[in-house]
Amino acid sequence: MKRIALPAAIVALIALAALVLPMLLPWSHDAIDWDHVRAAPATAGHWLGTDELGRDRLARLAVATRITLAVALAAALVSMLVGVGWGMIAGWAGGRTDELMMRIVDALYALPFMFIVIVLMVVFGRSILLVFVGIGLVEWLTMARIVRGQVMTLRHRPFVLAAEASGAPVRVILARHILPNIAGVALAYLTLNLPGIIMIESFLSFLGLGVQEPLTSLGILVKEGADDMDVAPMGLQVPGGVMVTLLVCLTLVGERLRDRFA
Amino acid sequence: MSLYRLDAMGVTIDGRDLVRGVSLEIAPGECVALAGASGSGKSLTSLTPFGLSAGTITGSAVLEGQDLAGLDEAGLRRVRRASVGFVFQQPLTALTPHRTAAQHLTESAMQAGGARPDRNTLVAMLDAVGLADPAIRLRRYPHQLSGGERQRLMIACAIAHGPRLLIADEPVSALDAHLRAEIMALLTRLRRETGMGLLLVSHDLASLEHHADRVLVMQGGQVVEAGAAQAIARAPQHAYSQALWAATPSLKAALPDDLHVPGAPLVEAQDLTVRFAGNGLFTRPVTAVDAVDLTVHQGEAVALIGGSGSGKSTIGRAIAGLGPVSAGAVLWNGARLPARRSLEQRRMIQPVFQDPVASLDPRWRVSDIIAEPLVHLRPDLTSWGRAGLVKKALQMVELDGALADRTPAGLSGGQAQRVAIARALVAEPQMLVLDEATSALDPLVAVQIVALLKRLQRDQGIAMLVITHDLALAAQFCHRAAVLDSGRIVEQGPMAQLIAEPQAAMTRKLVAAS
Repeated sequence: MKRIALPAAIVALIALAALVLPMLLPWSHDAIDWDHVRAAPATAGHWLGTDELGRDRLARLAVATRITLAVALAAALVSMLVGVGWGMIAGWAGGRTDELMMRIVDALYALPFMFIVIVLMVVFGRSILLVFVGIGLVEWLTMARIVRGQVMTLRHRPFVLAAEASGAPVRVILARHILPNIAGVALAYLTLNLPGIIMIESFLSFLGLGVQEPLTSLGILVKEGADDMDVAPMGLQVPGGVMVTLLVCLTLVGERLRDRFA
Repeated sequence: MSLYRLDAMGVTIDGRDLVRGVSLEIAPGECVALAGASGSGKSLTSLTPFGLSAGTITGSAVLEGQDLAGLDEAGLRRVRRASVGFVFQQPLTALTPHRTAAQHLTESAMQAGGARPDRNTLVAMLDAVGLADPAIRLRRYPHQLSGGERQRLMIACAIAHGPRLLIADEPVSALDAHLRAEIMALLTRLRRETGMGLLLVSHDLASLEHHADRVLVMQGGQVVEAGAAQAIARAPQHAYSQALWAATPSLKAALPDDLHVPGAPLVEAQDLTVRFAGNGLFTRPVTAVDAVDLTVHQGEAVALIGGSGSGKSTIGRAIAGLGPVSAGAVLWNGARLPARRSLEQRRMIQPVFQDPVASLDPRWRVSDIIAEPLVHLRPDLTSWGRAGLVKKALQMVELDGALADRTPAGLSGGQAQRVAIARALVAEPQMLVLDEATSALDPLVAVQIVALLKRLQRDQGIAMLVITHDLALAAQFCHRAAVLDSGRIVEQGPMAQLIAEPQAAMTRKLVAAS
């Protein structure tokens, strides 16, 4: 088994810091310190300095990480629920039902989703809910395909046949024999999905379409940092660094989970 | 002068001694066989000196005067390329799927630095291993060849570069019975013709007497008995060798005369046909089972015998209500069973499958696995009542009650198969469908399972449909047999009659090979 502890610990540490820091800091993420606008790091209790509106960068970073992780986790869970359900039904039913369900997946794959999300945002206004919906719509497709494949291989395994011979109804077989045996794989791909979702969310936020002020996310921080990176390079480096660390560690955790289960 | 010689050779993996003190000597043209149950270290002993396992060797292994123990990976590769050929158990996985027979042979012939063989040479190579129509076979991919043809191709590849020593690791275990004798005869002919030494790993003990010069019996990584093949086969000395040979079913043994007396017809398959639809573009529809009539009486064991792909498992599944039926009917006590069976109808016929580990859900505990049929088929029981029946079922298959809390990963193959049988028995069925229930097990364990099945038949009067490729094994506890070939029953009758006077060509082949 390859080591999974280190990347998992780093992710846990970042998540913990994002949760705890806002409670410990004297500043909230949207409080403006009129005396210290664009302060350099480590001035007047602002460890990472303040931005051009005088908001504490560390508090904003913590809240941004929190929001990014929450959006990613929620979207990944939604995509897992839909994907696992869809894939299980298609894989178990087989035949025409399977054909139809998987062709729907193929058709959805073919749509340019980023474009559709942007259109949704423009039409229905910018809301964090739409970010969930948009991301969830994209991400469940891969999960459905993976789960379907797993179910199809399990479907003809002798222990499933034995359960059928035992008179177990289909829902019991799915819930008690199939689901526990695909849970590991589903979990691994859920973890592998997280970095992708973080990327999409950050991209939307970077464009100004995702999370809206006064809330913030890593994508927004990166955008703000990029806007004045000549003056305050750390405003880009720090949130960028946190995001890259998260992406790398989550990918490592996901890949190692996948190696173990799949 | 010896070609290959092991002197007190051992194999260690991660500091553990898995094989200790094996000494053997192979002269040119000679065959030495390693016999033993799985886990006895046979494969490690044969492959490790050539760097083909995770272990390292101690002691010495000398091939044509060169000590293999001192060689690094590059040196071992040179030895493998120049002087040794390998044949493995699974010809389909050992051949590269996207390369034709000709490409495989060309690569093998050139591995020792030989010139690119021309077409006539390739044809001659396939001819030498007894492949019919070699010119046509050259263009075939592995999946287009039958199991026996694949193994012949693999042997042709293994000897294409003219090795001095051939290592054959269970070369016939994956083949149907009637092909085994042919392949063994081929190996014997080749080594006599070319003067190549043969190190054979096998648990097909019956064939060793005729095809090996000497035999080493291994148990737990050590040689417990060594000597001339005929002497060991006829009069094994060590207790383990005796058990091993006694466990090898043979048609020479007397048929049992204490079988349960069968009653009225229990299950009748009438005109049973199963077709699998092709997708219309790449595969054509296949008729796996073609108008089969088969009857099993109460308390009777009927063997369904045939090679792989003969449709025997498909019949078993159709009868157990687990597979499709395209035409015909399955009758239970004279009444037709519907496509969707009621719980009571399901309870009557229970299956046991070949791979004991795959047939148990890896995440369930043994007690839950055995209780599963009760949960659905006997909703009248309380959890107390279920626990009692599970305990009884465990006793019936002679398993320790302490195993009930384990998961399948903590069971041996034989224990896992007993759990699978306990699950099939717990709801008190009248018939078991045993799909190759012993063929994934070691011979010593298989004997115990057969003894268990015999006892169940005698004490409980349970009818059995025994699906197998092994006629000798079925003869030990079956009243009648039906021989299948390409989805049709070519012959059926009482066991004794079938063995004494086989009529169909397929039956004669099976009897001759057993």
